[in-house]
Amino acid sequence: MGAKAKIMERTGKSFYERLYLIEIFKGMAVTLGHFMTNFLDNSKLYVRHYPEVQPEIPARWRGRHRLTKHEDGTMKCVACFMCQTNCPAKCIMIEAGERIDGRSEKMPVRFTIDLLECIYCGYCVEACPMDAIRMDTGIFAVTGADRQSFVMGLTALLATPGAYTEEEYKKGGV
Amino acid sequence: MSQLDLLLLVLRVAFGAFVPLCFIAVLVWMERRGAAFFQDRSGPNRAHIFGFRAGGLVQNLADAIKLITKEDIVPDHVKHKFYFVLAPVIVFSIAILSFAAVPFADALILGGKKYLMQTIPTDLGILWFLALAGFAVYGIILAGWSSHSKYGILGGLRAAAQVISYEIPMGFAIISALVVYGTVNLTEIAHYQGQLLFGFIPMWGVVVQPLGAIIFIVAAFAEANRTPFDLAEGESELVAGFHVEYSSMKFGMFFMGEYVAMFTSSAIIVTLYFGGYQIPWFSTEVLVNNARAITVLLMLLMPACAWIFIRWMHKNNRSHYDCPDDHRVREALIYAKIIWGVVAALEIVLFIYLITVSGGAADRILVALLQIATFLVKTTLMCFVYVWVRWTLPRFRYDQLQKLGWQILLPLSLLNIFVTSAVVVALN
Repeated sequence: MGAKAKIMERTGKSFYERLYLIEIFKGMAVTLGHFMTNFLDNSKLYVRHYPEVQPEIPARWRGRHRLTKHEDGTMKCVACFMCQTNCPAKCIMIEAGERIDGRSEKMPVRFTIDLLECIYCGYCVEACPMDAIRMDTGIFAVTGADRQSFVMGLTALLATPGAYTEEEYKKGGV
Repeated sequence: MSQLDLLLLVLRVAFGAFVPLCFIAVLVWMERRGAAFFQDRSGPNRAHIFGFRAGGLVQNLADAIKLITKEDIVPDHVKHKFYFVLAPVIVFSIAILSFAAVPFADALILGGKKYLMQTIPTDLGILWFLALAGFAVYGIILAGWSSHSKYGILGGLRAAAQVISYEIPMGFAIISALVVYGTVNLTEIAHYQGQLLFGFIPMWGVVVQPLGAIIFIVAAFAEANRTPFDLAEGESELVAGFHVEYSSMKFGMFFMGEYVAMFTSSAIIVTLYFGGYQIPWFSTEVLVNNARAITVLLMLLMPACAWIFIRWMHKNNRSHYDCPDDHRVREALIYAKIIWGVVAALEIVLFIYLITVSGGAADRILVALLQIATFLVKTTLMCFVYVWVRWTLPRFRYDQLQKLGWQILLPLSLLNIFVTSAVVVALN
């Protein structure tokens, strides 16, 4: 047998409630109360004054992507195509080339993410064996005047710094 | 026709044409900021010209520019383009015209002649409103039919059925009001409400006709197609209902027509049931006879009101976040200066009036201006009730709407006619 059914008491059938008008006036009193509080002192509004006040973004929040670097400034990405293969939206396009900084054999010569295709699922970050792609920039609003400006290139992805320290990122925020 | 006749004619027509238009801006602003405050949001408060946002009023200007400059599409499948374009024109112009018979001040007596303070000085009164209110729905039906889409036609059909069912209780509510007032002339109706019941209660329609007032207000909400009776639009079921195929300023006409209709029906409600232009306990004769005392009272009240308003403004017109050299505070300081300037100018005008022209014709003009102000304040409050109801009550289901109209409002309004007539006959 399933869970015990809870029988809810039906309301709204009494004569007093069927008069409607009294209940309507009660409801209107509630809304007027809200109006008057806010009208007399508008600092009581439940509003974040965006864009002057920005929301607090936790470290695990999936924002715009970036490509990470080693301490010596060389990129961590080895062009293994894991992220591109794993991407459900097919927004990552990598072109591999020969590595010139001597760390391993391959590195991307082109790495583009089309932010208009991206669904911000974070699978690329999970798939990456080198911790080379992260979504910890804290950028949640990307704007542009044309479609081309939403296609992030290798340099732009490398140039964006992370918004959190290494410890914060590992801990995953508070 | 003397020069005075001509001047008053122009002034009255200008009032009847421009006040509803100005109220579109005020009402759209009231609706959006009001809705926001009812829901604990702040509403549009960013659009500005040189830093002056006028409490969000500038947003209307931005909206108007957007609506005017958008592409005006007449869909290809529309077969009767003439009717398609005609529909918003009907809605808008009828809404403005129906204000024409509403008196905004008591009949002005100048140079021994009596001027009715209505846009069209006619004694058709409430009949004019009834005729035109019934006609406004033709615009909606025409829009729904000519846009040749199922959502449009459903919206139009709903509007038609709704107006038929609510026109009847509305008419009956008016009949019982007319039994009490004994006239259809709105100026006389408002004049009647200047009397006192038992010597101390203002004899407003809502006091002598409480049931009629409720029925009329409910029916007027339905006539103006406002929530909870906006089934013709019903965006959750019909996308946008009758105006789904309209874009740009043709949609704008429907939008503005809705607000003008709201203003007009508020004006009618105020005239029929809330004393019209009457200031409670001060009938026109009392005001004219004590014009000097009232002027002095006004001169004292004005700075007090301005002071309270400016305190409220300084409290609320500031940024609620860290903002060095707050632009909102600077804006409020300038507004305060403007308000004090206006108050000072008005004080000077009233003072000059007191020492030079008081007594005679000037008194009557002053009283007329006071009554216009009263009328506009009352109408604005009634419009606020419209906004208040819209953001409190959910929309009716369609069968509930018809049930309310035919099974509840109709018998109640009939009962009201019998009771009212019986009381009137008994008292005579």
